[in-house]
Amino acid sequence: MIRIEYQTQRLSMRFFILMAVLFLLQTGFGLLLAAQHLDPTLLAGTLNFNVVRAEHTNLAILWVLSGFIGTILFVGPLLSNRELAAPWLIKFLFYALVGVTLWNMGTQALAQKGVAGWFMGQPMLQEGLEYLEAGRIADVVILIGFAILCYVVIRTFPPISKWNEIHWGLGLGVTALTAMWVFGLFFVERLDLQEYFRWYVVHYWVEGVWEVIHISLVGFMVVLMFNADIKAVGFAVFWGVVLVWLSGLLGNAHHYFWVGTPEFWQFWGSLFSALEPLPLIFCFWHIYLDSNLDRKPIANMPAFAFLLGSVVMEQVGAGILGFSMTFALSNAWSHGTWITMAHGHMALFGTFGMLSLAAAYYAVPIMRGVGVNFDQRLGKLAFWLTFTGMLGMVFAFAIGGTVQVYVYRVLQRDWFGGDIAPAMMFAKALAPIFGVVFLAGVGLIAYDLLTIGHRGEPRTSATDLETLTRPRGEWSLPLSGWEAGVWLLGMWIFGAIITIGLFSFNLSTVHKGDPTIPYIMGGVGYTGLLLVTVLFVLRFLRSLEARERGGVVAALAPHAPSEPPSAAPTVDDGVPVGAEA
Amino acid sequence: MTCAPGKPCWEGFKRRRALGLLGLMFLIFVGLSIASFLPSRGQVVPIDVEYAGYSAVRGKRIFQAYNCMGCHTIVGNGAYFGPDLTKLYNKVGPAWIEAFLPSAGGWPASGAVMVKLLDEEIAAEAGARTIDEYLSLYPGAAERINRRGSKPTMMPNLPLSRDEIGHLIAFLKYTSEMNTEGWPPEPRGDDAALALAGLAGGGGQQAAIAPPPGFPTDDPSLPPVERGANLVKMYGCVACHALDGTKLVGPGWGGLHGSEVKLADGSTITADEAYLSRSIMEPDVHLVEGFPPGSMPAFGTILKPDQVSSIVAYISSLGGN
Repeated sequence: MIRIEYQTQRLSMRFFILMAVLFLLQTGFGLLLAAQHLDPTLLAGTLNFNVVRAEHTNLAILWVLSGFIGTILFVGPLLSNRELAAPWLIKFLFYALVGVTLWNMGTQALAQKGVAGWFMGQPMLQEGLEYLEAGRIADVVILIGFAILCYVVIRTFPPISKWNEIHWGLGLGVTALTAMWVFGLFFVERLDLQEYFRWYVVHYWVEGVWEVIHISLVGFMVVLMFNADIKAVGFAVFWGVVLVWLSGLLGNAHHYFWVGTPEFWQFWGSLFSALEPLPLIFCFWHIYLDSNLDRKPIANMPAFAFLLGSVVMEQVGAGILGFSMTFALSNAWSHGTWITMAHGHMALFGTFGMLSLAAAYYAVPIMRGVGVNFDQRLGKLAFWLTFTGMLGMVFAFAIGGTVQVYVYRVLQRDWFGGDIAPAMMFAKALAPIFGVVFLAGVGLIAYDLLTIGHRGEPRTSATDLETLTRPRGEWSLPLSGWEAGVWLLGMWIFGAIITIGLFSFNLSTVHKGDPTIPYIMGGVGYTGLLLVTVLFVLRFLRSLEARERGGVVAALAPHAPSEPPSAAPTVDDGVPVGAEA
Repeated sequence: MTCAPGKPCWEGFKRRRALGLLGLMFLIFVGLSIASFLPSRGQVVPIDVEYAGYSAVRGKRIFQAYNCMGCHTIVGNGAYFGPDLTKLYNKVGPAWIEAFLPSAGGWPASGAVMVKLLDEEIAAEAGARTIDEYLSLYPGAAERINRRGSKPTMMPNLPLSRDEIGHLIAFLKYTSEMNTEGWPPEPRGDDAALALAGLAGGGGQQAAIAPPPGFPTDDPSLPPVERGANLVKMYGCVACHALDGTKLVGPGWGGLHGSEVKLADGSTITADEAYLSRSIMEPDVHLVEGFPPGSMPAFGTILKPDQVSSIVAYISSLGGN
């Protein structure tokens, strides 16, 4: 696909741009949090840590949602072979999203004064619950926004009897997105009951709804990028959704271990949430299979890199890191520490953020009329900056978390300023270093997405030509299924080391004051896992770029040498991909 | 789990079967959920918990209004920037929290906790009348006073009112009474072994109560200004009073002596020795404009007159007329 087929697809542009701006803002707040970890007096009294943190988590949710909406609007007409329903509602949705974002950013600061805006028993302005910090007014606006999205999606889709599996995935996804939000709309007096319902929103969103939307959109991106058969991909999407819901419904129990709910949840949570990586491995395997459907070069490398990053980080961040702490015996230690933070950052940004970025890198150049003929080096660099920046942050969080578990939970020191923070200082200092790398990548993404198609025609630089003529190394050979399986196995071996490392906090030697075993296992496990992840993605992308070079070199021969590599006429263009439906 | 193009794959049938299985799991989930909140579970509910007449339900609203979870964790969920608050009440007791929350930017010293114990209701809730009883009941308070007393914290001062503090403590009393299935993990280590490894901090109760070496004591033989400086440190006055003119929880001391202060009733008074002494012993008698009554405890029953005059001498040494 090289140009848009339906004019209403253009409505997605504003959501992608909003996404890029909010993403940059969110990362800025994140770096401020890292600085406040190093110096707790920084902006204390002006912009307290809890306010900055609320902005950071809420903006994360909002930019990912903005990206999801953009992607759904872009693919919706293609999936339905018709224009989007009610474009004026979509325009309204955009202004409502901007308005509610600004409103919520403002009201979060009221937490410093203890103002929640209680009215009719509900906190109207902000409610101080992790991830659900938005007050009731914003909550209701967001609920209306979800309802609009639902309406637009369902009305755009063909009649339900003609739905394929991607229609089902997206249709169920946006409906459940709206339905689950309702559980966060009530003040609950009991702490245990409040946490019970809070996880309805948080867990069922990420592990039920967002993941289903994610699988469906990844599936359709594969259809678009590789011209894959929509029925075959749809069948894989169906199995992905089945595995997500059958493991995730009872998997929510892993949030009910220690919040005041009975012990039996420890059994159900440990059992079912251990199955939650299955759909992620399945999705991971499919991206390998589908990108090897043909040996054609990848036309839009930044879009594919982010798509691959999304699936790999989902598998590693949500799958493996989530698995390591999902058992009651390991969760007793990791719960409420930086170890959770490592998992949360990688899973949320990796899985959902990178998918939105992939979709933006696919859709924005098309909407600007350049298709795939844009300078892709910026996008590729931005991918590597955000990818390695995030893995580095995750490493810092995981190592900091391991030390925190020992000092805080085992040694029972609870002086954060005097005991915990000094012990974690290495990790606290490491996090912002990678944070700066990440921020550079985000800035580049924002610049690139804003200016693609406005920067003029790309030129083939000397470095590009050098790359073109450079002999291929072993890392550029085609990636066989067997080799991909070995990489996957490598990740899980290090994942097992991390898991056993967390279990080893139960050992009596640790409680006698010797943390060697968990420290070594954490050090080896996290380092190994993250290195294997980087190397695998490097290997995967290089094997595909070697294809591109082959294609380009072949394509360059009859053309002028100044022909840009990305302009190689080997694109799957002109095929109305949604047409097979 | 693959479907070759053009072959029938029975998606509709498989989807219905999967939804049936999902329905079964949903029933299990609903069953477990109902069992979790039945009264027979015996879980404490906030409506049943009171602290000195304050309500745990209102405390929960205040806990949310200040977004405490945005720095701390509660039942392990939150931001990992500060400590978990679930069992804090059990560890440090109400008097310590009473002393801490009005000026969260500094760790309270023993004097501030002593003052709180003079309040009948707080002492009754704590189950201790003297500071020694209190510290042996709540080793967490002893550890905090001895290791951290008068030092700055990582937490900013919050504009909490007297009532808000009471409700918050009621909420923390409720959470500490909750059955959280043994989380956070109890200490399993042998204190002696940890101490050998140089790792134990405030493990043993008795060791924790004894003040660490170098902590100031009241020595009447010292000159008044130096003695006053020690007393100020012992009683943690600087948690609320800045040594310069800055207004924290209370007025700053720099330049205060001899200055004209405006009182809440509209009159003005000169902050001479007599006024400063009276304000330490009975702070609410001549309350300065802009400060709510009851924010400072009356030290008249704790400090001896010569101790008060030493503190006044120290304040006067910080500048002023």
